[in-house]
Order: sequence, then structure tokens, then C-alpha cells
Amino acid sequence: MDLELIDGWLQSVAVGGELDAYTAPRLLEAVAGALDAGHEWLLVDLSDVQYIDSVGLGILIGGAKRAAERNGDLSVACSRPNVRRVFDVSGTAELLNVVDTVDEAVAILSKARAAQGGREQ
Amino acid sequence: MTESLADMVELRIPPDPKYIAVVRLTVAGVASRAGMSVDDVDDLKVAVCETYTNVIDHAFEGVRPRPVMIRMTATDRELQIEVIDEGVGFDTEAKDYGKEADLSREGGLGLYLVHQYMDEVRIESAPGSGTRVIMKKRLAG
Repeated sequence: MDLELIDGWLQSVAVGGELDAYTAPRLLEAVAGALDAGHEWLLVDLSDVQYIDSVGLGILIGGAKRAAERNGDLSVACSRPNVRRVFDVSGTAELLNVVDTVDEAVAILSKARAAQGGREQ
Repeated sequence: MTESLADMVELRIPPDPKYIAVVRLTVAGVASRAGMSVDDVDDLKVAVCETYTNVIDHAFEGVRPRPVMIRMTATDRELQIEVIDEGVGFDTEAKDYGKEADLSREGGLGLYLVHQYMDEVRIESAPGSGTRVIMKKRLAG
């Protein structure tokens, strides 16, 4: 798990490998940890994830709800087709702001923050 | 007329999250051997692991866990996968399990993905009688 604070306001968490009921607690730890630390803008980088299922989706949905409650938001970066397909098929791609690259996720969250009166980076 | 030859592989496995990767690898191996495309193998891995995870989470509430049977039967037309548990079972008439995506709660998507990824899904269960989920995916072409 890699953590990076981008431009002082956007917390990036990168998780790799396979995310199922046995391994997804890594993702929960990363997302909940960032929220608990006071970061309401989250970029979840799943570029190195080879597998995800509803357990991982549930964690991300929960993270997005908690971020929204604090007037923040969450965006997921992933380009691997089988992982992307899980978001598309489940109907969560829009809710979780799923995009192909980290740069696109940064742009989405910057725009959302600016729309809330924050300063676009 | 050519008769279909069925290949059957059975996996008897404890209902424990640490074995999910084993289920995924076994399903991928059997599906690849059956001639499934890479995309279909990925779909099968999700569908079977979701079903197995449901068994782990719900089948043995309040009772002693028993091994789960995952039976994969390949023909030249399709791959059928049965996930069979001897758990507490449930009333299949009580709710349309997995027919709609439920984004309102964090655990409401598993069975929905199973329905989306498989060509056919049938659930046989009753309280006290265990559960048998029968899924089929057709071979492309």
C-alpha cells in the first residue's frame, strides 16, 4: 500500500494485487485510514490490482459515502479491463468516479473541489 | 450425431476466506481448459468467488461449518458450475436475490454480479436444507 499527499489536499492510496474477501482488508485499511486521518478527498489507485469483486466495491462505496458526508469525494483509477468491467457491470463506475489514469482522477477531484469553493490545483 | 463428452472436476473446500484464491485459480484452470476466452475466464472467476464468499458469509450462521463442494462440468457447449453447501439454507421465494444492483448498502452487489456474468443462474435452497447454486456460461463461438 502506497500513500501520497498530492498538493497538500488530495490523499492518494495505491493498492495492488487481488482484492477479495480475504485480501480486501488492505483496501479498507487504506481508505478508512485516510478518512480517519482527516482526508476527505481520496484518489484510490487500483492500477496494479488484477482482481476485484463486490467486497472491494463495498469498501469503495463506503469510502465514497464517508467522503461525501465530509464534503469531499473519491475517485478510482484503474485501466485493467477485467477490473474496470466489474465497476461498469455493477453500475458503480459513475458513483465512484472510475477513470483510467491517476491524472484523470486528479483532474476530476480538482474540479469537484473547485466547484465547492475550494481552489482548483 | 456426435455425443458431447463431459469433463467434471470437483473441489471440496472449507468455507474460509483464505481459500478464495484457490477457488479462483481452480476455476480459471478448468475454464481455460474448457476453451473459454480470457474475458470469460475473468467473468467466471468473479461469479464463482462471489458465490463461494456468500457461502462463507451466510451459509453457516449459528451452525458448524461443513465443506463446500464446487463442481465444474464442461461440455463442448458450456461450462456448468455448481456451488453446494450443507448450511442453513434460505427461502428463495422471500426475495429476488441479486436481480437488481443494490448500491445503497456496501454488501449488496455480489449476487447481482453473478447474474450479470453468467448466462444462467439457478438457486435451489430451503431453510435447513443447504443451498445449491447452479451457474452456466456458454462457450463463445
